[in-house]
Amino acid sequence: MENLRKDFKLGKNSISILKGINLDIEQGEMVALLGPSGSGKSTFLNVLGGLVPPTSGEVLIRDFHISEMTENELCLFRRDHLGFIFQSYNLISTMTAIENVALTLTFAGVPKAIRRERASEALSIVGLLDRMDHKPSELSGGEQQRVSIARALVNHPEIILADEPTGNLDSKNSTDIMEMITRLNRENNQTFVIVTHDPEAAKYCTKVIHMRDGIIESWEDQQ
Amino acid sequence: MNKRELLNLSWENLWRAKFRTILTIIGVVIGTASIIVMVSIGNGAQRSITSELSGIGSVTTLQVYQDLGSSTGSSLFSVGKKSDKPILNEDAIKEFKKMDGVVAVTPVVNLSGAEIDVDREQYSASLMGVDYNVLDDMRYETSSGKKPNANDTNSVILGKEVLSSYELTSTGPQAQVSTLSPEDLIGEKINIIVRKTNADGEEELKTLTVKVSGVLESTGGSEDYSIIADYDVVADLNEWQTGQAVNIKKQGYSEALITVEDSSLVDSVTQKVEALDFTVFSLQQILDSLGSVFQMLQILLGGIGAVALLVACIGIVNTMTMSIYERTKEIGIMKVIGASINDIRNMFIAESTMIGLIGGIVGIVVSFLLSFLINFIAGFFITGGSATISYITPGLVVFALVFSALVGLLSGVRPAIKAANLSSLDAIRSE
Repeated sequence: MENLRKDFKLGKNSISILKGINLDIEQGEMVALLGPSGSGKSTFLNVLGGLVPPTSGEVLIRDFHISEMTENELCLFRRDHLGFIFQSYNLISTMTAIENVALTLTFAGVPKAIRRERASEALSIVGLLDRMDHKPSELSGGEQQRVSIARALVNHPEIILADEPTGNLDSKNSTDIMEMITRLNRENNQTFVIVTHDPEAAKYCTKVIHMRDGIIESWEDQQ
Repeated sequence: MNKRELLNLSWENLWRAKFRTILTIIGVVIGTASIIVMVSIGNGAQRSITSELSGIGSVTTLQVYQDLGSSTGSSLFSVGKKSDKPILNEDAIKEFKKMDGVVAVTPVVNLSGAEIDVDREQYSASLMGVDYNVLDDMRYETSSGKKPNANDTNSVILGKEVLSSYELTSTGPQAQVSTLSPEDLIGEKINIIVRKTNADGEEELKTLTVKVSGVLESTGGSEDYSIIADYDVVADLNEWQTGQAVNIKKQGYSEALITVEDSSLVDSVTQKVEALDFTVFSLQQILDSLGSVFQMLQILLGGIGAVALLVACIGIVNTMTMSIYERTKEIGIMKVIGASINDIRNMFIAESTMIGLIGGIVGIVVSFLLSFLINFIAGFFITGGSATISYITPGLVVFALVFSALVGLLSGVRPAIKAANLSSLDAIRSE
């Protein structure tokens, strides 16, 4: 039913970061984009999320032509269909955990009471309900990343894009985060696209794509 | 994102940088307060001078003269030729009486340099002759005693200050202090003495004995030093003193007073009388022309105050721009997690408008305090009582509120657009 298809080519005049990529991702897949620095995997993710427009080519998510949307349409699309997880968490430092999580819903126009309910629900999924009134500076790196996962989940997006989610974490926390992502992927049938250079993290994914110099070098399905 | 949520979020954002927000608001407070206080001082000056002037005479009384200005202007060409200027005679007075809103019209004759003899002391006074038939309808009220009846032409009304007249001595004007007050003379007979030097160079006296009927309520004007008597009585004395008979029909009265029913009708009556080519003086005209002078003053003072608000406006722009630099990453995050361009723009505009609005409200409170303080100090040192040097009108309050909010809004537009157009990816990467 949900057939996700992304055809994507990009060639820049000066420096080509993505040199022609064609890829289909199915609903419910958990894809790892693996590759060394400068292979273009982060750029690819940002194009997927509509944060960077492609120079040429097309990105199609369900029926939405991401590459043809205006900035405003992209904002609304991200709000309703995408979740983001970043390497550096990107939480708003002056807001508490629950406020950070609920902010997405604020922009979506969800009433305050429901916002709080859904934000605490998301926080309980990542196991941080007891720390919801703490500010990011009062949380550990692993906890901050879990808050940002909760924020990505709160709007029930079909697709979650993660850019080096374990990049700043120790191995214990990395394992926890990856297991949590795997669980969410299985339970909610949410599609994950994870950029990483950590082969350990890639092991959790159903599909691993190796990138190098802006092209897909190889890809493999794994269970 | 709905409006209330947006305002909520902006409000919270504002107080995340408390110190900076408060400093910016103080800028707006000073700007708003300086405009309000400046204009209020203009208002206060206008009010006190207007009320001072209103005390001098009745606003509902018009003084009418034959058109002096243009007749002298055209005299070069009208020599030997009958002027077609209308004459202020009985016909003209009848014409005035027919006008809407006119209550009473009387010719006026003035005689200065008369003396009155009270208790063997002599006081100088001027006589003002009016038509006793309309005296009841005129706005001359007696503070004690009563107005003479129409045919009681031998009675007079004394001005409040008649007995405290000044006398010219070799050392300058000197106040004549009397132990008597005009009220003491009510019902008494007094002698009015008029002097003239005849053709032979001899001084002649004419004495007229009259009865004091009442004392005029103080008007603050020349009436306070006058004795109001019947027109014909004063006209006779005048004729005797000058030795010239006045042909009213041809030369007209020197002056006429029109009493108008209500101050709102003054303008229309003035226009009608002026349309008949008479010269009209009324307090209303003076107040009107003063009004435009004070409007200029208020614009000037307000302009000085506006400089402070302009500085505050630059302060808001600065704060909002700083805020955007500081919150670049946050703006990026918000855009990534679903804030639309409009959300970001409106959020910043709302923040700067709030700064303007809060500054405006506090500024209004501050200016009321300042206004009170100015009046208190002025009252203490200058008038010894309560004075209104500074007067804040409700319109001024509304204007200040709207203006300060508008200043906030406009100051926020450019920074807000800048914030909304930040690239989310660049913004999120910035530290």
